[in-house]
Amino acid sequence: MALLQINQITFQYPDAPTEALRDVSLMVNEGEFIAICGPSGSGKSTLLRLMKRECAPHGRLDGTIRYQGIPLKELPPKTTATAIGMVFQDPDNQIVMETVMEELLFGLENIGLDTLTMRKKIAEIVHFFGLEPLLDRPTYELSGGQKQLINLASVLLMEPRILLLDEPTSQLDPIAAKDFLNMLRRMNEELGIAVVIVEHRLEDVWPIADRVVLLHEGRVAYDDPPHKAATFLASKADDAFFDYLPSASRLFLHYAATNQNSRLPITVKEARSWIKGLTVRVKEASTQVVHERMKPVVLEAKNIDFQYEKGKPRILDRLSFSLYENEKLAIVGGNGSGKSTMLKVLAGLLKPQRGKVVYQGRKTTGHIHLDIAYMPQNPRLYFSEESVKLELEKAAHDSPLSPETKQHIIDEWGLAALGDRHPYDLSGGEMQKLVFACLLLRGPRVMLIDEPTKGLDPESKKQFGEWLNRFSWRGMSFVIVTHDIEFAADYADRVGMLFRGEVTAMADAAAFFKGNAFYTTSINRITRGVSAPEVSTLKEAYVTWDVQNGSP
Amino acid sequence: MSRTKRGLHALHPLSAFLYYVGGAVFIMAGQHPVFAACTFVLVFVLNGIQDHFAALKKWGRWYAAAAFLIVILTPAFNRRGTHILFYFRDNPVLLEGVIQGVIAALSLLALLFLFVSFNQVITSEKFLFLFARVVPQWALLAMLTMRFVPLFQRRLHDIGLVQKTKGMSVKKGGFLSRIESAMKLLHILLEWSLEEALQTADSMKARGYGIERRSRYSPYAFSAIDAVVLALTAAGGVCAIFGYALGDTVLTTSPVLEPVLLSGREWFYFSVYLFYFAFPMMIEGRERWRWHFSKSTK
Repeated sequence: MALLQINQITFQYPDAPTEALRDVSLMVNEGEFIAICGPSGSGKSTLLRLMKRECAPHGRLDGTIRYQGIPLKELPPKTTATAIGMVFQDPDNQIVMETVMEELLFGLENIGLDTLTMRKKIAEIVHFFGLEPLLDRPTYELSGGQKQLINLASVLLMEPRILLLDEPTSQLDPIAAKDFLNMLRRMNEELGIAVVIVEHRLEDVWPIADRVVLLHEGRVAYDDPPHKAATFLASKADDAFFDYLPSASRLFLHYAATNQNSRLPITVKEARSWIKGLTVRVKEASTQVVHERMKPVVLEAKNIDFQYEKGKPRILDRLSFSLYENEKLAIVGGNGSGKSTMLKVLAGLLKPQRGKVVYQGRKTTGHIHLDIAYMPQNPRLYFSEESVKLELEKAAHDSPLSPETKQHIIDEWGLAALGDRHPYDLSGGEMQKLVFACLLLRGPRVMLIDEPTKGLDPESKKQFGEWLNRFSWRGMSFVIVTHDIEFAADYADRVGMLFRGEVTAMADAAAFFKGNAFYTTSINRITRGVSAPEVSTLKEAYVTWDVQNGSP
Repeated sequence: MSRTKRGLHALHPLSAFLYYVGGAVFIMAGQHPVFAACTFVLVFVLNGIQDHFAALKKWGRWYAAAAFLIVILTPAFNRRGTHILFYFRDNPVLLEGVIQGVIAALSLLALLFLFVSFNQVITSEKFLFLFARVVPQWALLAMLTMRFVPLFQRRLHDIGLVQKTKGMSVKKGGFLSRIESAMKLLHILLEWSLEEALQTADSMKARGYGIERRSRYSPYAFSAIDAVVLALTAAGGVCAIFGYALGDTVLTTSPVLEPVLLSGREWFYFSVYLFYFAFPMMIEGRERWRWHFSKSTK
C-alpha cells in the first residue's frame, strides 16, 4: 500500500477562472524520493500543500488524498502534524522561536512529549546534524543555510514518514544548497523517510530522485524514474521541457548522433564515463572565441570599506573593481558575504565609511545617480502603486526619455495586457519583468541586479538572461549578484567572487569556473580531467567541441 | 546577549508576567509628577541594568519624540485651570496643562520602558507557556505580532532604500508629499509583512501547534523568590488601586491645583512605589553581587 495516495484530484482557487490542478494522481511509496518540477504556475506548490492538511490552500477540491489508506481529512491532528513534515521556501519565515534550542523543541512541546523523550531525540538529532555549537545562538543571527538546516532538523524531530519540501534551497548559496540536499539524501537513505521536493535546482535533484514528476498547466505531464523521464523528454520534439533536464543529459543529447550505444547520462559521474569513450578535438577556428578590445570603464569601486555599525565586522573591506561598458559582470559568494550590501553601496543607497564609487569619471559615492538603476532581490519592495499601469506611469513620469521611447519600452515588454492587475498578483517572472521595465523607463546606463533568478523556473531564467544580452548589446552594463552558478556561467562576461569583503578572483566567465571545484557548473565538473577539452557551459562545448565517436 | 537563567530571567513566567502587569497598573495609577518621575527613573535604570540600554538605544528616539509631542500638545488642549503661565496666540497656556502633559509623557515613557524590559524577560517560549494552552489562537496572533516589531524596523529600512531609488522619500518634498510617501511605505510594509506572517503561521501549524497541551522541555520551577514576587505584586497592586481611589497617587488639578510636593499619606504610597520598582533591581543586584563574590574568592 502506498504511503500517500493522491487520486484524481482537481483543485480550484476561490476566485480563479481555471483549475490549478486537473485530474492529478500521484503515489508516494515508503522511502521514495520524488522530485516535482514544472514551470511557475503549473500547480507544484498547490499540489505539495494539499498533501499537508494544516497548510492546504482554500478552494474547491475534488478527488481524494489518502495517507495509509485513510483520507487525509479523517486523520487525527497529531498524526498529520507528525507523520507529514513540511519545509518551506523562505528560511526566515518558518522560524518561530528565539534560540535554536527552543526552535528545535517547538514541535515536540506542541505534541506534549515528556522531557526525557525530548532530551533523547534532541541529543540524537543535534549530533546527527552537528548543531552543538549553534544550540544557544539566537535564531536571527544564523545564515540562510544554517536556518534551513534548523528547519529541516526541527521537522525531522517529529519523526515524519514523509517529508514535503517547497523549493527549500532557492535562497541558499551553492555550497549550502548542496549541504542541504546531501542531508536530505541521507535522511532518505538512512532513515527511509519518503521525500517529495519541489525544486528548480534540477542539476542536483535529478541524480538523487527515484522519480521525477513533471507538472504542466495543472496536469501531470509524466511521472517516471529519472532515466526514463530523461529519455522520454529527449525523444519528444517539443523542447519546452528540455531545459528541465540536467546539463549532463543535455550535453549528451546535443551529440546524439554519435552515441547510439550509450545510456543517457544524468549524473556528473555517468557523463564523465560517457565522455571517456569519445574523441573530442577542439575546433580550430574556435580556440579564441572572443578577444575584445579594451573598453572604457563605466563604473568603478575604489577601496570601499563598509560596516553597518561601529564595532560590527566590516562587510566590505577595501573593495575595488571596475565595470566596463556593455559588460555583464556577475559576483558570486556565500550567504552573508556582503553581496547585497555591495550593490547598495554602488547604487548610492548606503554611504561607505571609506573609498568611493566613480561613475564615468565622476564621484557618486552616497548619491543616487539617475543613470544607475538598482533592482532589489525582492521585487515586491519596488512596487508602490495599485496597478501595473499606475506603476509604469509613475516610472515614466520623471524619466528623461522621450514619450515615444517610453511607449516603445512598454510595448516591447507586453505589459499593457497586465494593465489593471495589482503588481502583487503577478507571478514571480511577471513581477520581475515589470520591475525591469520600470527601471528601463528611467533610461539607465548601468543596472545593479540582486539575485535575479531566485525562484524562477528555467524558462523565465533563460528569458531573463536574454534580456541581459539584448540590453548589453544596446550599450548597458550590468552588475549581477547571484547564487546561480549556472546562470552566471551562461550569461556573464566576467565573474568575481566576493570573499572577506573583497572581490577576489575576477576573471572571464569561462576561466573563472575552470579553476573551482565547488563554485562551478556541472558541465565543468563533467569535463574536468577527462580526455575532452575542459569547458564550463553547454554553449562553450557546442562551439568549441568537435566530437567523433570511439576512443582516441 | 544576556540569556542567562539568572536574576529576573529565573523567575517563573507567571510571577514575572504578573509583576509586569502590576507595574503597568502602578504606572497608570500614579498620575502625579513625583510618582511618575519616580517610576520613570526606576524603570529606566532597570533597563540599564538588564541590557545596558541596548534596546532603548534603538527605539529611544521615537519614544522621546512621542513624549515631546505629548508635552507640547496636552497644554494646547487643556483649558481647565486657574494658573495662567502665558498666552500663545491669544490662547492661555495653563500650569495645570503643562503639569498634566509632563505626567502623561513620563507615564508613557515608563510604560514603554517597562515593555522593553518585559520583552527581554518574557521570551516567546515563556509567552507560549503562559498562553498557548488557555488561548492558543490569541497566543499565536500575539506571537506573530511580537515577532513583527524588530522585523518591521529592518523591513521599513529596506523598503525605504528601494523606494528612494524611485525618488520617493519621507525626507524631502512638501509636507503633504512626505505624508503621502510615508503612507505608501507603510502600505508596502503591511502587505509584505502580512504575507510573511501567514507563512510563519503555516510553519507553526505544520508542527502541530495548538493540537493539545504543550509540554515543557525544562519545566519552570516555582521558587521562594517567586512567592515573594507574587506577594509583592498582590499587596502592591491593592495599595496602588487604593491610593488611586483615595486620590493620594493623583495630583488634583481642579478646582484647585494641589501642591506638587508630597505630604502625609502620600509619602506612604510613594514608598510602596519606590519599593515595587526597586525590587527587580534588588534581584538583579543580588545576582551580580554573588557572581562578583564567587569570582573574587577564586
